[in-house]
Amino acid sequence: MTESRQRNITKVLIANRGEIALRVLRACRDLGISTVAVYSDADRAALHVRNADEAVHIGAPAPRDSYLRMDKIIAAAKKTGADAIHPGYGFLAENADFAQQCQDEGIIFIGPSPSAIAAMGDKQSARSAVRRNNVPLIPGTEAGLHDDELLNAAASITFPIMVKAVAGGGGKGMRIVNVPEELPGALRNARNEAESAFGNGDLYIEKMLVGARHIEFQILADMHGNTIHVGERECSIQRRNQKLVEEAPSVFVDAELREEMGKMAIAAAEAVNYVNAGTIECMVDRDKNYYFLEMNTRLQVEHPVTELVHGLDLVKEQIRIARGRPMSPQSSFLTPKGWAIECRINAEDPYNNFIPSTGMITAFSSPKGPGVRVDSGVFQGFEITPYYDSMIAKLITVGDTRQEALLRMRRALSEFVILGVKHNIPFHINLMNSVSFIAGQFDTRWVEERFDMRTYESDPTDTDLEIAAIAATLHAHRERQLAAQVVAPAKRDTSNWKWLSRWERVRR
Amino acid sequence: MKYTTIINGKEFIIEIEGDGTLIVNGEKREVDFLDMGNSLFSIITNLRSIELAIDHEDNTYEVLVDGRMYEGQVFDERALFMAKRRGALGGGSGEVKAPMPGLVVDVPVALNEVVSEGQTVVVLESMKMQNELKAPRDGIIQEIHCKQGSSVEKNALLIVVGEAE
Repeated sequence: MTESRQRNITKVLIANRGEIALRVLRACRDLGISTVAVYSDADRAALHVRNADEAVHIGAPAPRDSYLRMDKIIAAAKKTGADAIHPGYGFLAENADFAQQCQDEGIIFIGPSPSAIAAMGDKQSARSAVRRNNVPLIPGTEAGLHDDELLNAAASITFPIMVKAVAGGGGKGMRIVNVPEELPGALRNARNEAESAFGNGDLYIEKMLVGARHIEFQILADMHGNTIHVGERECSIQRRNQKLVEEAPSVFVDAELREEMGKMAIAAAEAVNYVNAGTIECMVDRDKNYYFLEMNTRLQVEHPVTELVHGLDLVKEQIRIARGRPMSPQSSFLTPKGWAIECRINAEDPYNNFIPSTGMITAFSSPKGPGVRVDSGVFQGFEITPYYDSMIAKLITVGDTRQEALLRMRRALSEFVILGVKHNIPFHINLMNSVSFIAGQFDTRWVEERFDMRTYESDPTDTDLEIAAIAATLHAHRERQLAAQVVAPAKRDTSNWKWLSRWERVRR
Repeated sequence: MKYTTIINGKEFIIEIEGDGTLIVNGEKREVDFLDMGNSLFSIITNLRSIELAIDHEDNTYEVLVDGRMYEGQVFDERALFMAKRRGALGGGSGEVKAPMPGLVVDVPVALNEVVSEGQTVVVLESMKMQNELKAPRDGIIQEIHCKQGSSVEKNALLIVVGEAE
């Protein structure tokens, strides 16, 4: 390693918002690096702006007018003299053009090279890149074959299979085929449907994985040719392809499978000469056959579970790698220390088909205590707007065993106070009480197809209801009394606050 | 003051006397109720210590205890009289409001139609997603305040489901 390849980083611009901007900001603080926040009109009061050393306004609330404006973000970096940009996740994190522009402007992009982002960004090019390194892919055909070619190809794939439309989406042009005899008819129907829905009848077929789990491997790679994995994360608890709960490690992965899949994940990253932190997402079927799904060329939302069981700071490693130094771990992480679970607390109503909820957070008190980490960018008085995603906080618990982490999660969920918007904490509470989750028996379809909010919810007792009724009534009563006092202020010489405390003394 | 409070559909008669004595359904209760600020409250009753959070919008109260949300309304005697006339007591208010600003893409019910709890009464498009808003109770469609194509603000009253005759 020559000294000239090392680059110093003294000031980082964080091209993101919310909890991840704060997360990156904190890592920079730990390293003694100055920070620059960027913000839209909607985020002037946000924590990432208030906590940063410098802050640059970049436009209107809609992401395309602010957090996606490469020109404004690069101009902000130049104006403040930032020597590096951390993109977080989402927004510009997996945009090869942006990484290239940073490079062209002499700003370090804390992430992989533009070519690695581009190679992994497209499904076909990603598949052909990793195939060269013998990474297993979900068996299937190329796009645009004729029916007879598809029928021939299907013979070598075990059923059930899925027929999918190239232009597909929303289940249109998609068929599940269980036996070969049904295939010709399914192809005909799917082609007609895709033709009328998308104007493109091109199809491909893919092996259907039954009872499959989503398991991913954290990768770290530096500029000195070292590529390691930092263990797996179990992400099968999802709804409409949105992850809701993640764990590290996975109940499904034993030491042998971890070693085997870890090697595969490293090979997949090396196929595109990957540098920095990334994630290899896989599907794993019931028989422990695993297949490469895609690579996320960025820090993941769920990275904290990995940090907690392997004892490292992934953002610090990202910065270290971007500086051109060798990463601090010497080898892959094969033995997790304990267990970590993350619940994504979203502003979504679990009793109403997970409808997103917007509005002001009127009360916010996050859980604390042993084994609890909360990554969040909100506070009391913060407005959840429709412009950005609905995540309020990530609640992560860790314990020596899965059971301890789970019990801590139950405790932490009941301590969490969020009012003003509907949120999915009741969903997480029910999930933590469900037999299947406790036993670790679930796949990627489980929440959508078999989880019911009512199954694990006991009815409140009469005493519980009475306490809630008393509280609501006393609160209403007090507010009405206060309102009456405000109407006639001259009749009383003490202030409303003094009056309130007197009233409280009377109540005791 | 005498209040009728409905929590999760269950009715409580709660009297608060001038000296602060609290009577619930005719029985006296010792309650120490402390406002901690920031919507947080502490109750000690019958030696039980409970931390809770209370939020309300108009007369709909939300009480959060140990991760569980209770919902209800508090009526004083006058409000109770009015509510009874509207038939809004018992099975919740029956009001369907817009949970967020959006565009009404469908109203699959008509006035005086009998609906059951959980039946879709409005489809609202917001944040690029179609959200089905459900009837909060069994009853008949008493009021419709929106139609296909109308843009609505957050909390706009869309539908009222009234007591079935």
